[in-house]
Amino acid sequence: MRDRIVRRVMDEVSQAWTVAVKDIKVYYLKPGMIMFGLMMPFFMFFSFSVKREMAAAQGVARLLALTTFFTAASTGPFIIPLERRLGTYDRLLAAPMSLLSLLLGKIAVGAFFAIAVSVVALIAGVALFGARVVSPGFLLAGVILSSFSFSTLGLIFGSIPTRNPGDVQMPSTLLRWGLLFISGVFVPLAEMGVVARALAYLSPLTYAQDLMNHAVLNAGLLNPWLDLAVLAVGGVLFLVPSILMHRRSRRLGY
Amino acid sequence: MSNAIEVQNLTKYYGDLLAVDHVDFAVEEGEVFGFLGPNGAGKTTTQRMLTTLLEPTEGRIVIDGHDLAHDPVPIKRRMGLVPEESNVYTELTAWENLMFTARLYLVEPSERARRARELLETFGLWEKRDVKVENFSKGMRRRLSIAMAIIHRPTLLFLDEPTPGLDAQSTHAIRDLIRDLNAEGTTIFLTTHQIEEANQLCDRVAIINHGQIAAINTPERLKAAFRRVQSVEVAVEPDGQAHGESLETLPGVTHSVKMGDKWRLYTERPSALLPQVVDYARRHDLEVVSLCTLGPSLEDVFLEITGQEIGAVRHETGEPEGRKRGARGKGGGQR
Repeated sequence: MRDRIVRRVMDEVSQAWTVAVKDIKVYYLKPGMIMFGLMMPFFMFFSFSVKREMAAAQGVARLLALTTFFTAASTGPFIIPLERRLGTYDRLLAAPMSLLSLLLGKIAVGAFFAIAVSVVALIAGVALFGARVVSPGFLLAGVILSSFSFSTLGLIFGSIPTRNPGDVQMPSTLLRWGLLFISGVFVPLAEMGVVARALAYLSPLTYAQDLMNHAVLNAGLLNPWLDLAVLAVGGVLFLVPSILMHRRSRRLGY
Repeated sequence: MSNAIEVQNLTKYYGDLLAVDHVDFAVEEGEVFGFLGPNGAGKTTTQRMLTTLLEPTEGRIVIDGHDLAHDPVPIKRRMGLVPEESNVYTELTAWENLMFTARLYLVEPSERARRARELLETFGLWEKRDVKVENFSKGMRRRLSIAMAIIHRPTLLFLDEPTPGLDAQSTHAIRDLIRDLNAEGTTIFLTTHQIEEANQLCDRVAIINHGQIAAINTPERLKAAFRRVQSVEVAVEPDGQAHGESLETLPGVTHSVKMGDKWRLYTERPSALLPQVVDYARRHDLEVVSLCTLGPSLEDVFLEITGQEIGAVRHETGEPEGRKRGARGKGGGQR
């Protein structure tokens, strides 16, 4: 019995990995992914950072938070509705794997993309602007955990029962921008009023930014372990609506 | 022989729309089972429920003795699915598509490459194995889609409209393949509205109409049950097109349908009609170019059962024809 369970878990992990690798091959170079996943965080960064006096380290911390957030959350809303429209999602749903494994594979696609873009951003920050990493451990954990958590957040929108990516992009963009503006990315938490700070705590991006501040600036406001815990718990909680919406899709026939 | 599929009281509502209406049927192991019906009759909805893509509103599906409602993963390993649209990854090569599916269906690593090569050779795609599928024709994509569905050697294969839109050569190749797979022991569930395809391939057919099973039997038994749609087909010259109305007035003819340069005269007694047709030709100084009797075709049976006029042009809109919740009609029909 135990061997059977272990075997099943190994099979499911292998299938999730297979889905992730396939998506990486098929979708990473699609214009939609490059636009929303790669260029968007840099646009956002430069839009709000140009002509403002900012230390290199502060810029790197902000850029890392933005890349993990925008890049990771862009894949789910792009890939799944597209696959539903092309009929290829049925191939995955009909495969002998659990829904959870399928969703974990999809989450990994966004997370790997965000990690890769963040590494590029970090190398650029260190090499070109002389930024230094104070706490590599928190940086590594922060980038990885933020990427997975935000990819799971994006998956919620990918799970909306529709075959039209356009139906998903609007609400997902609205939410991401909303979470961005209430977070502590552009206005540091320490400078916020009570209400603004209370709102900021509702955005998971706040915790990612605080963690990057710890890692690069050694100047986070919250306990970094709290940041990590919120991102981890958020990632798990974000999975719940995705599962529920997939069940609803199965009832509706999407 | 045991059943590969057992369906009990299967029902699907989309909101208030009743798409599949308390359906019962069984598919025996090793048979080719045709699932026929006009567009919107509930064929694809039924097949999507059988393949776990759609949740039934009511009813039970048992595959190989395993209730699909309880952990379908092990049973899905034994199933293959070829959907109506060839859902292959056009950005990948044929080889990559097959290897992806092999991994997804947990085909042993040592077996994957050998099986992929075998299938690509069988389907005439080996030379194109490294070409991205976006450069493939519709027929090639279809063949690849079928190869992907059988790479894990399923014991039960679902095919949804496998040949529409394909050229004659591809259609012939796919039908041969279905026969070969069945000969190797694979149970085939074939959803189609191509009646001749079902006639050629299926051991039994079920005709679904308005979400209900209207008939299940072998093609020949279904035809035998509809003797009244026997016919005499005649082509006369000169000016053969002008004689349709006159031929329809011959005793015993229920109605006539123009079939190209021929007239098909429906009758319950073709043997009695034949001499009358010859006599008509003699009286009008016509040459009989061809004359034959025809039993009811499966298409005739299908049209009779689905309530469409024989010979009438069918306008297939693709609109769902289900009924509203609470408007359940008489179940069953001729079995």
